[in-house]
Amino acid sequence: MTTWLSSHAVLVQSTLVSLLLALSIQVPLRAGVFSFAGVGSYAIGAYAAAIMTIRLQVAPVFAIGVGVVIAAVAGYLLALLVARLAGLYLGMATIAFALFLGVVAVNGGELTGGATGLYGAISTLTTGHVVAITGIVVLLLAVSERGAFGRRVDAVREDPQLAVSLGIDVGRVRRRVFVVSGALGACAGGMNSLLRTTVSPETIGFHLVVTALTMIIVGGALSWAGAAIGAVIFTWLPTVLQFVGDWQPVVYGVLVALAAVYMPTGLLGVAQSAWRRARRRGLPADEQDRPQADDPERALAALQEARP
Amino acid sequence: MTAPVIAPVLATGDVAVHFGGIKAVDGIDLALATGEILGILGPNGSGKSTLLAAVTRLVPLTRGRLTLDGADYTTAPPHRLARRGIARTFQTVRLLGDLTVLENVQLGADLHAGRAARLRELVRRGAVPEVAAAVERTGIGDVLDRRPGELSYGTARRVEIARALAAQPRVLLLDEPTAGMNHSERREVADLLRRLRDEGLAQLLVEHDVQMMVDTCDRLFAMNEGVGIAEGAPADVVREPAVQRAYLGKAAHGAGDR
Repeated sequence: MTTWLSSHAVLVQSTLVSLLLALSIQVPLRAGVFSFAGVGSYAIGAYAAAIMTIRLQVAPVFAIGVGVVIAAVAGYLLALLVARLAGLYLGMATIAFALFLGVVAVNGGELTGGATGLYGAISTLTTGHVVAITGIVVLLLAVSERGAFGRRVDAVREDPQLAVSLGIDVGRVRRRVFVVSGALGACAGGMNSLLRTTVSPETIGFHLVVTALTMIIVGGALSWAGAAIGAVIFTWLPTVLQFVGDWQPVVYGVLVALAAVYMPTGLLGVAQSAWRRARRRGLPADEQDRPQADDPERALAALQEARP
Repeated sequence: MTAPVIAPVLATGDVAVHFGGIKAVDGIDLALATGEILGILGPNGSGKSTLLAAVTRLVPLTRGRLTLDGADYTTAPPHRLARRGIARTFQTVRLLGDLTVLENVQLGADLHAGRAARLRELVRRGAVPEVAAAVERTGIGDVLDRRPGELSYGTARRVEIARALAAQPRVLLLDEPTAGMNHSERREVADLLRRLRDEGLAQLLVEHDVQMMVDTCDRLFAMNEGVGIAEGAPADVVREPAVQRAYLGKAAHGAGDR
C-alpha cells in the first residue's frame, strides 16, 4: 500500500484535489443551488496559500486555512449579493465571480505575480496530509447527508415552498451552502498550490468549471460519493486512455454526453436504483405486488352504499 | 347570544391579497377556535387557496392582520410559523420522491429535533414518538419503507396529513385533502379529522366536496370573488341564496351559456 501510494502520489493528490473541487459544486447542487462559486474560491485558496507560504513561510495547514476563511467569508457575501437569483442566472453570476478573480490574479502586480504567477511555494505538505484533510471533509459531508439534516436539505432542493412550510429557513440554508462551498473550493486550491509549489492564472481558469461539472454529471450530483466516483474516473482516465492519443478530448466529450443523456443521476444513481431493485426482489412475494391502486370492486361497492 | 366568548387560535382581520388589479382575496375576517373545523367553501377561483397562502405567509398581504393566540404574526417570516404551531397540506401531493414514506413523515417532526436529537438519530435508527403517533393515526404503517411514487393517490394524501401531524400543530390547514379519493377513503379522512378535532386540533378545511364539508365541518365560511358571502352552521350556509347563486353562476358559466 505504502509503495503503491508513493509511486502514484501525484495521481492520488490530483484525485483528492479534484474531489474537493467537485464537492464545492456538488454541495450547493444538493440544496438546489446552481453555483460555481467554488471555482472562484479555488482561486482564492490557491493564491492565498502560495502568498502566505512564499512571503511568511507559515505552516501549510495555516496557509491553506487563511484561504479557506477568506473564501468562506467571500462566499457568504456573494450569497447575500445573489440571494434573488436562481437556476441559470445564478450559474452565470457565479461563473462571473470566478472569471473576475482570474482577472484580479493577472492584474495583481507583485502580490499575485501577474500573468506568470507565483513560484517557489515550497512547504511540508505531504500526500498523507492531503489524504487526512480530504478524509475528514468527506466524513463530515457524508454525515450531513444522513438523518434530519440530509432530509431538510433534500426538501430545500426539491420543493423550497414545502420546506418553508416545514419550518426550514431556506434562505439561511442557501447562505450556509455558499460558505461551505467557498471553504471546500479554497481548500482544494490551497492544497494544489502547495503540492505543485506554484500557481498561475492558467491553473485557476474556466477549465476548472468544466472539470468539476464533468465529474459531478458522470458520477452523480446528489451525494459526495458521486463526486468521488467522478473524481477517480476523470483523474485516472487520461492514464488509461493514453493509447487514443489526440482523440482523448473526443472520447471525453462522448462519455459526458452519454452520461448526461442516459444516466441523469450519474453512475451513483444507477448503482443505487440497482441496489433498491435487488432488495425488492428479496421481499416475500405478497409484499412485492400488493395492488396499490384503488381496487375497482371496492370503489363500486363504496359508490353503491354512498349517500343515505 | 349567551354563548361563551372563546378566544380564537387563529384569526384574520380584513385580510386582502391583490395581484396587480386582481383582488384574489379582499377583506376576509375569520376566527378559528380550538377544537373546531372551519370549512371554506367557494367555487373555483373564489380565493380559497390564496387565503390559505396568505394565512401561511407564502404570499404577502396587501392589507390586514393575522394573529395566532392573539399574537400578531402579519410580518413573521413564513418558516417561523411551523414552530409556532401552524401546519398545512397542499392542493397537490408534495412528497419527496427520493425519500421513503417514513422519512417524509419525519420531515414534519424534524422541526422539534434539537442538535442532540439529530445526532442521536444518526447512530440509532427508529422514529420519534410524534412520528409513530402520526403514522398510527393516518394508518400508513404498512407502507413506511415505500417510496411516494409507489403509493396510490389516496395513500399519498394520507402521508401528507401524517407529515403535517408529525409537526404537532395546534392549527392544521388542509387544502383539498380528499381530492382524488374514492368515497370510502374520503370517509376515513373525514373520520380522522373529526377525531383530531375532538382532541382539540383547530382545522381550516378547503374542499370541493360540499357533502363532505357539511358532514365534517362545525362551521362553514363561504366566499366568492375574494369576499365572504356567508358564514354559520353548514346546513344553513349551503342553503343561503348567495352561496347557491355563486355555485350556479359558475356552473352556468362553465356550461358555456355565453
